[in-house]
Amino acid sequence: MPDVTQVLAAIDAGDNLAADRLLPLVYDELRKLAAAKMASEQPGQTLSATALVHEAYLHLVGEQQFENRAHFFAAAAEAMRRILIDRARQRKSLKRGGDRQRLNLDNLEVAAEQTPDDFLALDEALAKLEIKDQRKAQLVKLRFFAGMTNEQAAQALGISTSTADNDWAYARAWLRLEIEGPRAN
Amino acid sequence: MPTKPLDEEAIFNAARRIEAPEDRAKFIAQACGDDTGVAERVRALLDMHERDSGFLKPPNQTADYEPIAERPGARVGPYRLMEQIGEGGFGLVFVAEQQEPVKRKVALKVIKPGMDTKQVIARFSAERQALAMMDHPNIARVLDAGATDSGRPYFVMELVRGIPITDYCDQNQLSPRDRLELFIAVCQAVQHAHQKGIIHRDIKPSNVLVTSHDGKPVVKVIDFGVAKAIHQQLTERTVYTQFAQMIGTPLYMSPEQAEMSGLDIDTRSDIYSLGVLLYELLTGTTPFD
Repeated sequence: MPDVTQVLAAIDAGDNLAADRLLPLVYDELRKLAAAKMASEQPGQTLSATALVHEAYLHLVGEQQFENRAHFFAAAAEAMRRILIDRARQRKSLKRGGDRQRLNLDNLEVAAEQTPDDFLALDEALAKLEIKDQRKAQLVKLRFFAGMTNEQAAQALGISTSTADNDWAYARAWLRLEIEGPRAN
Repeated sequence: MPTKPLDEEAIFNAARRIEAPEDRAKFIAQACGDDTGVAERVRALLDMHERDSGFLKPPNQTADYEPIAERPGARVGPYRLMEQIGEGGFGLVFVAEQQEPVKRKVALKVIKPGMDTKQVIARFSAERQALAMMDHPNIARVLDAGATDSGRPYFVMELVRGIPITDYCDQNQLSPRDRLELFIAVCQAVQHAHQKGIIHRDIKPSNVLVTSHDGKPVVKVIDFGVAKAIHQQLTERTVYTQFAQMIGTPLYMSPEQAEMSGLDIDTRSDIYSLGVLLYELLTGTTPFD
């Protein structure tokens, strides 16, 4: 298996297909990292997804500089989304089954979480947005799941920050309208 | 009539920049013309846009992916970093030397990326006066807060060289009676803070240290005011914002904190955490796994 720095180097060298190879690597790393954290951290410690992505980056890429490091965060955002969705589904099925055992999903637990239903609804709306406008969905993933700033996400998507700002405002309103429906006046 | 199909996105983005409601309504009416369907969509989108800016917004707008650059020898405000003494979920802790206005050693905690520096410092400042009123032998004083050159929040505290209370009790094989005595001191410290209107919000063994003064163990509760400044997201009721933000095992957290139900937490949250700590001191494990 290639490592992340090799893949990033390949992307820098112009190999566009290399980006696809990042996702499984980053996904694995995030899951492992989360599990290790949960096992070793002081009880009561909280971990944020953003910090997790950050640490995965330091761990996999370290100090090396890559022109296309944004690809890493795109993969991390998607990986984080999958991890959180898996967990929301699992929590939901556990609730129905009344299972009180510790979740085996790497012992990840969410401290301040909305209901899994809300989260799954968000993901569903995000999937619709992706069909309609892939760039905006990508932007939401980068900002929401990888914790990127507007500037970082704009750079990753190769768009101007003002475009990213417009996209973000519209995508957020669109998603929320999709989830909640128009408010009765 | 415009020839190209009306673009709700373009109209939305133009309209959201118009402040005055009448001007905005006029603009929408004009831009959408006869197409009441689009006008309605745009109004609904604007409604969502205005209603809650917290939706989906990660609280860490200043987050970046650079590691904490502060190292021993570096200067942070009026402090010079010496050795690193700890690393927690929220950042690095250093021994630092203060030169002005008094020369002394302090503990300086640099917060990791992922926190909004301005918000953290603003929340700290809001409570600063109350924190300054706390004066208790079992409470480590919080002295200062600010932003490093790289923009990260930092906190300066009385330097406590101690170990977590649970570790101390186990290492010294303290009897239940001795454990309870230490625990009473913790309660007194928390009681003192509560009387000054300060809630800790993050009581756990790593924030309750035991040091030795003249051979006698002394409890010091650290991080008063810090938890509130950096933990605020737990109590802020921002819909959806928090999904991706908090992953952890809230073993010491009271139900109202963990559920983020929107109820404001009060001193009882600390009492709950104290209960968990007491349980752990006496049984060696936390009540909920």
